[in-house]
Amino acid sequence: MATEKTDVVIVGVGAVGGILAAELGKAGMKVIGLERGPRLKTSDFAPLDELRYFQRQDLRPDVKRQPVTWRANANSRATPIQSLSYGNQAGGGTVHYGSVSWRFHEDDFRVRSQTIERYGANAIPEDSSVIDWPLSYAQLEPYYDRAEYELGVSGKAGNLQGRRIEGGNVFEAPRRRDYPLPALQVDQAGVNFEAAAKKLGYHPFSTPRAIISQAYKGRPACTYCGFCQGFGCHVAAKSSILVTALPDADATGNFKLITGAMCYRVNSDNSGRVTGVSYYGPDGSADNTIEAEIVVVAPFIYDAVRLLLLSKTTKFPNGLANSRGHLGKHIMAHIGARAFAAFDDRHVNIYMGPSAQKHTIDDFNADNFDHGGLGFIRGAQISAGPAGLEGGPIGTAMNMPPPPGVPRWGARYRDFFAKYYTRHLAMTGQTENLPYADQTIDLDPDIRDAWGLPAPRMTYDWRRPNETKRIEFINAKLLEIGRAMGATHVWRSPSSPGSPGSHHQGGARMGSDPSNSVVNRYGQTWDIPNLFVIGSSNFPTSSGFNPTLTIQALAYMSADAMVNRYRKNPGPLI
Amino acid sequence: MSKHDEARRAFLVGTAIGAGAAASVALVPGALAQHQPPQPAPANTTVPDHGDHSGGGYGAWLNGEESAAIAAFAERLMPGEPGKPGATDAGVLNYIDLALAGAYADQRDFYRRGIAQLDAYCRKTQNAPFAQLPAARQDEVIAALEQDKAEGFSWPSAQAFFNTVRTHTIEGMFADPVYGGNKDFAGWRLVGFPGAHPAFSPADMESKEAFVGGALIGLQAQAPSRRT
Repeated sequence: MATEKTDVVIVGVGAVGGILAAELGKAGMKVIGLERGPRLKTSDFAPLDELRYFQRQDLRPDVKRQPVTWRANANSRATPIQSLSYGNQAGGGTVHYGSVSWRFHEDDFRVRSQTIERYGANAIPEDSSVIDWPLSYAQLEPYYDRAEYELGVSGKAGNLQGRRIEGGNVFEAPRRRDYPLPALQVDQAGVNFEAAAKKLGYHPFSTPRAIISQAYKGRPACTYCGFCQGFGCHVAAKSSILVTALPDADATGNFKLITGAMCYRVNSDNSGRVTGVSYYGPDGSADNTIEAEIVVVAPFIYDAVRLLLLSKTTKFPNGLANSRGHLGKHIMAHIGARAFAAFDDRHVNIYMGPSAQKHTIDDFNADNFDHGGLGFIRGAQISAGPAGLEGGPIGTAMNMPPPPGVPRWGARYRDFFAKYYTRHLAMTGQTENLPYADQTIDLDPDIRDAWGLPAPRMTYDWRRPNETKRIEFINAKLLEIGRAMGATHVWRSPSSPGSPGSHHQGGARMGSDPSNSVVNRYGQTWDIPNLFVIGSSNFPTSSGFNPTLTIQALAYMSADAMVNRYRKNPGPLI
Repeated sequence: MSKHDEARRAFLVGTAIGAGAAASVALVPGALAQHQPPQPAPANTTVPDHGDHSGGGYGAWLNGEESAAIAAFAERLMPGEPGKPGATDAGVLNYIDLALAGAYADQRDFYRRGIAQLDAYCRKTQNAPFAQLPAARQDEVIAALEQDKAEGFSWPSAQAFFNTVRTHTIEGMFADPVYGGNKDFAGWRLVGFPGAHPAFSPADMESKEAFVGGALIGLQAQAPSRRT
């Protein structure tokens, strides 16, 4: 039995955990990070191997050892999700992600108020549990700035202190200064998308990504190899936590990382405080304990919710931070509308250039367009890129159904794929689905993981009237843009029934009112002041934008509050 | 012999030990085997040749009849023609066979039962196992599986079996040749994928033409730099 004492223990050393480790360490606080997976190095990512990393998901959780189950509703039986996209190593999802790095819009932080002001209270679906965030964009802006500059994000400003700039995202909220690095070079998917979107009067721009377009802080610039989504970067041009915050944390001398450690309980006492954590060690030992003044729960949302539910005691019979019954509720997902454009007269060479959502229009996201009479609220980011967000032939074949009339196999499929693999692009609409109280994560009663712990179980079905109308609207836009490209073939992908989607968010949402939320704006739980839960689990609404930069900005803000306020006066920050 | 072939040969000699590694993974059942990183698998030259698809040859895991069924199935999914390499040309059977001996060891039952159900269905409806049917009949059978209309399947379902063989055929066509398929980059040549290029130039990115900037690059070509 190993027992250690520290100031702060962090469970999960990914987008949040790495930043906290660096920031708290710099302030002289002793930090121990527990990480379920290994700590890999850039040299581990040398093989550019689509089968291993993208198709077989070598950097992602093993769905057999660490199952997450899903069911569409409470009346059906959950089965394991076959492909999990969150992280499974030090650096978390930032090691293998597509690196898309957004600031949310001003109205993303006040969806409820914005909707009522513009469309009336009836515009909000009756069963949606949507609330405003407990902070404004302006309050988070300094931390967005911090994250972009600390980590290294490439892009072009579209709103510099209120001045709109063509070529950037003219819908973005005001930023104090431009990105630290110029936008990445536009590839042919972007060139085609840009021309068509402009023809239609929209406002295309190169997607901001945490991939450095020039040398930055000792790391070399992107080489445009295209092996991003699903891969670790072989030159460390991707600004993952592994090559940014973690080396900073090491340099403080105050950070200790324990890999291969599976945390199974946050310990608490009868005074209502948490005292530390217990974990399974890499050697299989079960009774390892860390005692800490502050416990930060920062894995992905499945494990954050599960850990708090597993940590129940007689004092906290429904799990920690769950006195009002909101833990594991209000789960959201991004659902992808998808369409394809294929050309007889040009090559696109989709395998080149940084992968994922390469080029974007923001015209139909958030409340950037008038929803009057449309029958739904909120929108989607529309982008161009590879079918599976990664442009190799396996990912493309698996994620691009052929156009209507072409079978999925046989000589006609072969000829279709042989001709159009290098002559196509995909477009994705990443929709902002609303929170609903009956979209949940709890403990699966039947399925356990390799440690014998109940699997996290998600109950989620995107097919609500508001979301169905939105996805049809966005699909029509994708087809319109495809036709404006002058493509020979333009077609859409069928929406998968019920599908749990991606970028799951919620489960420990932040709010202004302890009666409808789990944590305050700092991720501090309302119930237990020395227990923090930080990450996309905190999001009250999901935005149509990728979550990671906002997760990182929240981590910087929480670190600031812990160092400058909590440490002097431990107790509720609000 | 091209420079590439020489490199490939050198790689195979250098990684003969890889065959042993793959075999040891095959002994580890289920979930644990899945957790192992994929092992570099030897290419066609180091295992019994699957060029004869009449059945009777033994590979790494599938028996002769099973090999014949999978080879025929994969070839109908991605048929070859002169100038258009198909599943047989690419060695898809070899890919699937080696995967079942290693990384996909937990799917052996799925395959064994799926093939048994397939052949039972074909014997019942066509009086011959799948591999012995004419191509047009094979296509009818595959269509029935795809639409889940083939009777007599319990587990795996006809559709699940179709989907899995299709996925693995795509993998065998387009995964790096070290995994035993995509022989001589047949799949990459078919679709115009240049392989794992560690960098593209601004001019490459600006081109609206097919990329012709150099040799196909696979893991074998990357290997020497990885060893340093």
